[in-house]
Amino acid sequence: MSMHDDNTHSTDDLAADYVMGLLDGAELAAAEARMTDDADFARAVSTWRERLADLDATAEALAPSAALWDRIADSTKIKPAIPLPGARAALRGATLWDNIGFWRGAGIGGVFAALMLVVILIGALATSRQLRRELIALAQRKPIYVAVLVNDATRETGAIVNTFSDGRVELIPLRPIDVPAGRTLQVWTLWDRNIGPKSIGLTGQSRTLQLDLEALPDTVADQLFEITLEPEGGSPIGRPTGPILFKGNAARAL
Amino acid sequence: MTGNGTITETRRDEAGLDHAREAQLSAALARCAAGDRAALQMIYNSEAPKMIGVARRILFRQDLAEEAVHDAFVRIWGAAASFDPHRGSARGWLYAVVRNRALSIHRNEHRYDASDDSALDIDCEATMTRMPETSALRKCLERINRPRRDVVVLAYVHGMSHGELAGRLKVPLGTVKSWVRRSLSSLQECMG
Repeated sequence: MSMHDDNTHSTDDLAADYVMGLLDGAELAAAEARMTDDADFARAVSTWRERLADLDATAEALAPSAALWDRIADSTKIKPAIPLPGARAALRGATLWDNIGFWRGAGIGGVFAALMLVVILIGALATSRQLRRELIALAQRKPIYVAVLVNDATRETGAIVNTFSDGRVELIPLRPIDVPAGRTLQVWTLWDRNIGPKSIGLTGQSRTLQLDLEALPDTVADQLFEITLEPEGGSPIGRPTGPILFKGNAARAL
Repeated sequence: MTGNGTITETRRDEAGLDHAREAQLSAALARCAAGDRAALQMIYNSEAPKMIGVARRILFRQDLAEEAVHDAFVRIWGAAASFDPHRGSARGWLYAVVRNRALSIHRNEHRYDASDDSALDIDCEATMTRMPETSALRKCLERINRPRRDVVVLAYVHGMSHGELAGRLKVPLGTVKSWVRRSLSSLQECMG
């Protein structure tokens, strides 16, 4: 057994070196990747952190400069992490997001899919009727109406709503929205003040949502869409009760 | 005899305080994961001075240490949801983030060089004696002879690489690597 051969590092030795800060470059990147997808390694790292933690406590307490918190507050304005209700599921998503193996697989899969598409498209070109059908399908992917939902106070754009010729309506969030525990996001639309706003979707977190407008008349220009913060399960009275987070009017897409 | 009683009591109080602090930090991390910025500020108010101390032992400069702590808080805010209290302490997790940010700045921007006087002021024994006598880590480190013990302190506390350790201790790289391995396995055996 050679002491100098890094390839013979056991999980525990590697965890110790990682916690000690002795890894560099590719070894460091590999260890950080293992932290998210190797539970044994993550456990060994935690054990080593606890063993060595008393050394952190020996550091002198040094006053930070007055501006440091302001800089941190500025850099953490937008919450990149996950609101509480979906935290577990989203955490699994985040782990996958950091999983190089997954994205390598997805990358290779993507190249294959693209090659397949080329083959299919060449086949489609040969039959022009087939091609026309594909073009019609593609046109149906383009929204007829688009609403850009903006926060009144901050002027930040929060989400867009797309309505399609086949009746589908989707909401695409453009920024994470903090949803406190026990609350939910509710999406509303208003096309006639006499009828009032109608609920068209509920979600615990900001994610792309297929909205349900089946029972409503076709979307028209200037139809209002808005997102409000409501109690879990949605507004108890069928009308918005909470603060309006983002709103906007539908405009015909060119 | 009354003196002994007082010391024991003080220690018990300290252990109680540590326990309360750990519970607070753990709860604050959970609140950060839910998007509560007041919780992030609470962690900052309680830990930032010590964190700057930890970063400064690696980077030697106040401005770089503050940069590391800034980066660490951005990371803490973004990754709070990945902290699992069943796996380890909040304190261990938070300080690991700070050390990782400081090490990353150190590797990218601030290598020791021969003219760097600050690295000469490092005193491993002073660090040892700052640990409480009851610390298992201290007891177990004291069982390792110098200078083999120093590699642990120099690497963990001051972020030295194998190469920097070899340069400072004036021994070949291979020797440093085997000292690190043996010191760590001795710690592991001693601490369980």
